[in-house]
Amino acid sequence: MNREEIYERLNRVFRDVFDDDSICLNDNTTSSDIEDWDSLEHINLIVAVEGEFKIKFNMKEVTKMKNVGEMVDIIESRINS
Amino acid sequence: MGLTTITFYLFLIITLLLYFLVPRKYSWLILLIASIYFLLYDNLKLNIIIYLLIILLSSYIFAILIDKYNKKKKLFLILGILCIIGVLGYLKYTNLFIVTINHLNNILGINKQFNLVDRNVPIGLSYYSLIMIGYLTDVYWGICKPCYNILKCSLFMGYFPLLTSGPFVRYEDMEKELYIKHKFNFHRLCYGLIRIFWGLFKILVISQRIGIFVDAVYSNYTLYQGFYLILAALLFSLQLYTNFSGSIDIIMGVTKIIGINLPENFTSPFFSKSLTEFWRRWHITLGSWLKDYIFYPVMRSRLVQKLGEFTKKIFGKRVSKKVMLYFSMFIMWFAIGAWHNGAYTYIIGSGLLQCLIMILEDLLSPLSKRIDQKLGINRDTFGYRCYQMIRTYLIFSFTMIFFRAPSVREAFNIIKNMFVFNPWILLDNYSLYLPGLDLLDFRILFIAIIVLFIIDYLKQKCDVIEEIFKQNIIFRYIVIYILIFSVIIFGMYGPGFDATTFIYRQF
Repeated sequence: MNREEIYERLNRVFRDVFDDDSICLNDNTTSSDIEDWDSLEHINLIVAVEGEFKIKFNMKEVTKMKNVGEMVDIIESRINS
Repeated sequence: MGLTTITFYLFLIITLLLYFLVPRKYSWLILLIASIYFLLYDNLKLNIIIYLLIILLSSYIFAILIDKYNKKKKLFLILGILCIIGVLGYLKYTNLFIVTINHLNNILGINKQFNLVDRNVPIGLSYYSLIMIGYLTDVYWGICKPCYNILKCSLFMGYFPLLTSGPFVRYEDMEKELYIKHKFNFHRLCYGLIRIFWGLFKILVISQRIGIFVDAVYSNYTLYQGFYLILAALLFSLQLYTNFSGSIDIIMGVTKIIGINLPENFTSPFFSKSLTEFWRRWHITLGSWLKDYIFYPVMRSRLVQKLGEFTKKIFGKRVSKKVMLYFSMFIMWFAIGAWHNGAYTYIIGSGLLQCLIMILEDLLSPLSKRIDQKLGINRDTFGYRCYQMIRTYLIFSFTMIFFRAPSVREAFNIIKNMFVFNPWILLDNYSLYLPGLDLLDFRILFIAIIVLFIIDYLKQKCDVIEEIFKQNIIFRYIVIYILIFSVIIFGMYGPGFDATTFIYRQF
């Protein structure tokens, strides 16, 4: 799966979790760009992303992720390993 | 060794002198020796040393094992946590267990009652139990590497300024701060001293003074009814705040002088517009500890996820999210209450009641928004914000009745006794002074609380101490002298005053 495909699926997950169809992600998207992205929604998001890609983040990744780019990096490395 | 005793400041001066004078390599060892002295100063007993060693060795050894044996790391994490919780449970929760069994025996009609036990609890037990559990978990999650030097590990666990009331720190952050030599800096010394005096002002001028009134009223709530109890409840939340945040100010001042940066624990909580916001600004480091080590793992647990899937099928996404959130909140707030102390008053007062009100806030907020819209109330006004802040203060003060009362049953009796109508005690120039504070005390208290709120208000906008340093020399010295002399003159050092009784120290 390439980065573009990951983004496509990730967009879908984000739109579903935040109930907002206008979300369009890029590498630099952070929690401050999406209104409802607080610490609680972060966990819902993580669980939804894990379900979508059938992967598991570890807690270090969950708490240290800075932007969507980092999330995609992790997903990419997990899927392709 | 209380933070307001002369002994503490003598100890501090010697520690700081040695810290800055010894060669760079050994400076952290001075902190370690000082911490051991501080830990054992009040309580040099063999069993205390054994409890401390169990916690230290189990965290030290299991952290290394977690790192070395990746396949069995979960087992080692569980074992490590069990050792720490075992000591904590044995020392702090035996009585809760006995009380529960006695209650059950009463209900079931079994004629057997067990006596409560009196355990010798080492200072700071709740504090380092939690940070060492956090340390083990961080090693397990790969957030930090284990500490192979047992002396360095001991210093992380027992760094003396943090033992009385936190703030909660993580090994990952402290590793960069604790073991390097910090050079002496005059600006930091002045900054630290002002912060220490501000902490002393909060504790000695406000908290201890309120304490006299609150103690008298709560210990005799059948005599002091109605407005006495209402006033005591309103004052107690301020007493708790000034006591706790005052000791944090002293701690921050001490570590500022050393050169160690710590996370802030309070950001003017009484300016919060809801109880949810209040708890984001009160004991912040405990909140973030619980969020990372309890709330997140519970939310991600299979149980909660299954619960979410189940409720989603029946009620839809929105409800399922709420159910997952409330369930995890319940677990976390139960833990907060239980952590405060092994008594039902704490589990209810600082735990479940807070959780219940926050859930209600969350559930009712759409309704209250709609009502305000219908009535045409503009929420974005100074008046409305004041109303929200006062409401939050009243709610918090109410919940703290359970925290302060000797037992849950007595808390209900206190609430019942509040409904006696006697407003004249506030006016007759006599009754209000019966619980121990006279007119002058009330005046001092009134002015001190206003100063406290002004400073807390300013703290939201800037670093007040840095701002003082930017002022011209005359203004600067006037402010500093007023602070120092008001502590000396208006501090409560009277008979019966015991500077070592910190409300938060027992946790």
